Amino acid sequence: MSSDAVKKRKPKVIRNEAVTPEPKRGRAEGDQLSAVSSHVKFRKVRLRQVQVSYPAGPHLIGQRKLFTAKNQVPDVHVYNEEVELEGRDPQQDYMLYKDTCAALAKLMAEIQELKSGGAKSAEIEERRRQCSVHFITLKKLNRLAHMRLKKGRDQTHEAKQRVDVLHLQLQNLLYEVMHLQKEIGKCLEFKSQHEEIELVSEGEFFQDAPAEISRPHVTRDDQHQLTLARLDWELEQRKRLAEQYKMSLTRKEKIQKAIEQKREYLSSLQPGLQNIMQASVPVQEYLSMPFEQMQKQAEVARHLPPPLYVLMVQTGAYGQACDKNLSVSISGDVDEAKALSRPPEDSQDDESDSDAEEEQQNTKRRRATVGVQLDDKRKEMLRRHPLSLCVDLKCKDGSVLHLFFYYLMNLNILTVKTKVSTTTDLSGAVSAGELLNTESLLNCLYASDHGKETPNPANRYQFDKVGITTFGDYVSDLGHPYVWVQKLGGLQFSSDGAQSELAGSALSASHMERTMKLLRGRLQARLALHKQFSSLEHSIIPVSSECQHLFPAKVVSSLTRWTMMSHQEFTELGFVQHVLTAGLAHETDLFFMAVVERGTARLLAAVVVNPRYPEVTPLFSLSLHWKGERSGRTDDNLRAMESEVNVFRSELQGPRPGLQLLTNQIQRLCVCLDVYLETESQVCDGSEGPKEFPREKMCLRTARGPSRLKPFKYNHPQGFFSHR
Amino acid sequence: MGPVELLHMSVFSQSFSPCGRFLAAGNNYGEIAVFSLSAALSPDASEASQKPILNFTAHDGPVFSLLSTDTHLLSAGNGEISAWSWAELIKKSTKAAWSRKPSYETSLEIPEINAMIINPKDNSLIVGGGDNNIHIMDMETGTFKSVLKGHTDYIHCLCFKEREGEILSGGEDGAVRIWDSRTNRPVHCIEVFKYEECARPQFGKWISCLATDSDWMLCGGGPSLSLWHLRSMSPTSVFPLPGCQREAVFYQDLIMSVGEGPHVSHCLHGGTVKAQIPCTPSSLNTLALNLKNTEHRVMTVGGSSHQIDVFTNFSYRAFSLSF
Repeated sequence: MSSDAVKKRKPKVIRNEAVTPEPKRGRAEGDQLSAVSSHVKFRKVRLRQVQVSYPAGPHLIGQRKLFTAKNQVPDVHVYNEEVELEGRDPQQDYMLYKDTCAALAKLMAEIQELKSGGAKSAEIEERRRQCSVHFITLKKLNRLAHMRLKKGRDQTHEAKQRVDVLHLQLQNLLYEVMHLQKEIGKCLEFKSQHEEIELVSEGEFFQDAPAEISRPHVTRDDQHQLTLARLDWELEQRKRLAEQYKMSLTRKEKIQKAIEQKREYLSSLQPGLQNIMQASVPVQEYLSMPFEQMQKQAEVARHLPPPLYVLMVQTGAYGQACDKNLSVSISGDVDEAKALSRPPEDSQDDESDSDAEEEQQNTKRRRATVGVQLDDKRKEMLRRHPLSLCVDLKCKDGSVLHLFFYYLMNLNILTVKTKVSTTTDLSGAVSAGELLNTESLLNCLYASDHGKETPNPANRYQFDKVGITTFGDYVSDLGHPYVWVQKLGGLQFSSDGAQSELAGSALSASHMERTMKLLRGRLQARLALHKQFSSLEHSIIPVSSECQHLFPAKVVSSLTRWTMMSHQEFTELGFVQHVLTAGLAHETDLFFMAVVERGTARLLAAVVVNPRYPEVTPLFSLSLHWKGERSGRTDDNLRAMESEVNVFRSELQGPRPGLQLLTNQIQRLCVCLDVYLETESQVCDGSEGPKEFPREKMCLRTARGPSRLKPFKYNHPQGFFSHR
Repeated sequence: MGPVELLHMSVFSQSFSPCGRFLAAGNNYGEIAVFSLSAALSPDASEASQKPILNFTAHDGPVFSLLSTDTHLLSAGNGEISAWSWAELIKKSTKAAWSRKPSYETSLEIPEINAMIINPKDNSLIVGGGDNNIHIMDMETGTFKSVLKGHTDYIHCLCFKEREGEILSGGEDGAVRIWDSRTNRPVHCIEVFKYEECARPQFGKWISCLATDSDWMLCGGGPSLSLWHLRSMSPTSVFPLPGCQREAVFYQDLIMSVGEGPHVSHCLHGGTVKAQIPCTPSSLNTLALNLKNTEHRVMTVGGSSHQIDVFTNFSYRAFSLSF
């Protein structure tokens, strides 16, 4: 029987534990207890009977409590187990449950004992009834436990509900806090526009602003108010300035309108002026004031390469300031120059490099074309700028020296070509051919400036690349690169040692005056020579009246021939070797042969005329054919004659710039020959018969000094000859 | 001085300094150049040492005559004698110590002075030149004390015979006159051009060089250079030199002569030309021997060139000094 009981109870317990395993136990016990107690109260009567036999203890306490609960709600005669539950102590219920279980176990054991002992069923019955009561108590306790559990659950739920609400509230608050913080942050980050406005400084503000704006009593202490006040002041000022601006605008508009009107008026003037200009052109030409031309020139000049530009400006400036007979013009293809100045200059080096490579590739296959290529490259290297400058130097006698200046772009040098135009016909003199030769006209304008080699040392390397041996081969084509031309163009090359540190226009200006004077002097000298030569060729020695006093009235010896010689011919002459060894004859010089005759005597004079004549005196070397040949080397008197002609230039040059030097020298030569011949026959006692040359010249002494020189010096007013 | 002037320069006179270390030379432009022989002859001589250490204009006309006394250099050109202290010249100071002019009779042209010699017996300077007369100046007082007249044309050269105290003068008139320096009277007159052996009428009769050595006299010019025995007054040998001679000297057993032609002639007393040494100028005016200083024993010749040839060994030209 006991094993059955265990079997019956077991699933119940398991079921309970499955729902809420741990806390259920206590609660179940409590519920059971309350259920038991309520059960007890419900079946009061029956219990009273039972109670008698049962030990008191906890049971009694439970009863008392039941009663008190009943007493507290006397009017409500509804059985409310829930109310009863409130009044019960779960602990007591638990104790009751324990006691009941213990009592049940005891009764079960007694029943067991009785049954096994074979006792009477009444006793067993008795015991069974007691057990049932106990079961009822258990049931009651169980119910109470359930109710308690439910109640506990409800309470928990309620509490949870409350917690949830509070949590929600908390969340809201937190969110609000966050939002507020964000707002605060935003506020803190807020930048007022006024901060960007540049305000006048505080001091200035207080000084300038009127009191009603600055309100110093408020703003002194309150930064905010101060700022506001300053902003107010700023606003005030800006308003005022805006007003001003508006006024200015209107004024500007007015002025613009006025300008417009005036412009219209001016543009209406233009055609009128143009008409006047047109009409004035003949007048300009007549008065030689080429305004218009200058304007056009300036327009074109912008396309000139820098050296030519410097040259033009400096020459023009010099012409304006010092030399009215100087004119500058630009010739050449302007469009080409424009095209040239537009694209960036591709460097010559690159070009030639690539050319070189190309050449290397090609050499194997096409050797024949290399020459053509080189030719092209040479042409390119020697290319000159499309624009050139023409400077015309007019002389008083109307002849003009045209100088054409070119710029060789790739060599960076200037060259010059010349042309002379004269008023008179110059075809007369044969020997004068070289004088105005454009090739040699400007040779040695400055000493040893031959204009054959390029003055730019860099060109040497450029030439090597394309196989040009000397620039001299091209001067006839390209013009002469004289050093003075470079200087006039402001080009300075460092090859010729230490030089002035001038460059560009300053360099040009520093050489301009001297060069122009030299050029003019050169032309005048050449023209004068030209004229003199044509009369010399007709055996007339032109002696101007200014120089008449240098010579006696009667000169018997006369020039019979005047011819040109080449340098080669000159060097082959026997009596000029001393000049050659002294280095006084250069290839650039002009060489002439003069023949002076008197009777049987024939005097040959080889003349070296330096290109810088008359600055450099022509050099005479003499050879006399008379009773055998004598020269300056063998005859001291001939040597003295040479020196008489060559050395005393200051006596012979005549009026500046000494253009009659050569003719005076020749004339003096004739005079000296007269003296020589006349005195020679005097000195020579050996000759018999009538003298060939009767003595006509008045001489104080026929010989003097150890070398027995003849008196070659003519004293003008007295008309006698004396020794030096 | 430009290259053309150099080309036409002639050197007319030379004189060694008393110490023998310097040479003064005068040219046709009136300049005197002083060369340092010691520098030019030193082993480390350069181009620059052949240039004058001093070059100054002494006279208006050519410097025809130069003469050194113990202390001074005397120079003469157009009628004027100037003296320059050698000590000062070496210090490159070119201030004349004194200047004298003989009293000339002509006024139209100043006569030149072609020759000067010192008479050591009474310390007088004998000057001959363009006015045909010989002027004798007392070196102590600087006064011209006497004039020797006799030549009919200008005087080319002078010479002094110390033993007899005789002055020899040769002139354009072709005469060599011998004067007694004590009495200032003419002793002899030899008209060289009248002697057939030496006359050269194609040139002329002038005597432009004179030299004496004891009883012997050298004279030449228009006539051939000839050696004369003075006691017999006859030419003993005539030298067959083509040109006119301008200066001749006795040197040991040789006669050296210069003149027209670019060479120095070495002649023997017997009348043969031993050698003709070529030199730079095309004709020569002057020859000088520096015998005072054994260290710088040279012969220098100058003529129609700006160069003065220097002979250390007399048989060839060593180098040239240049103005």
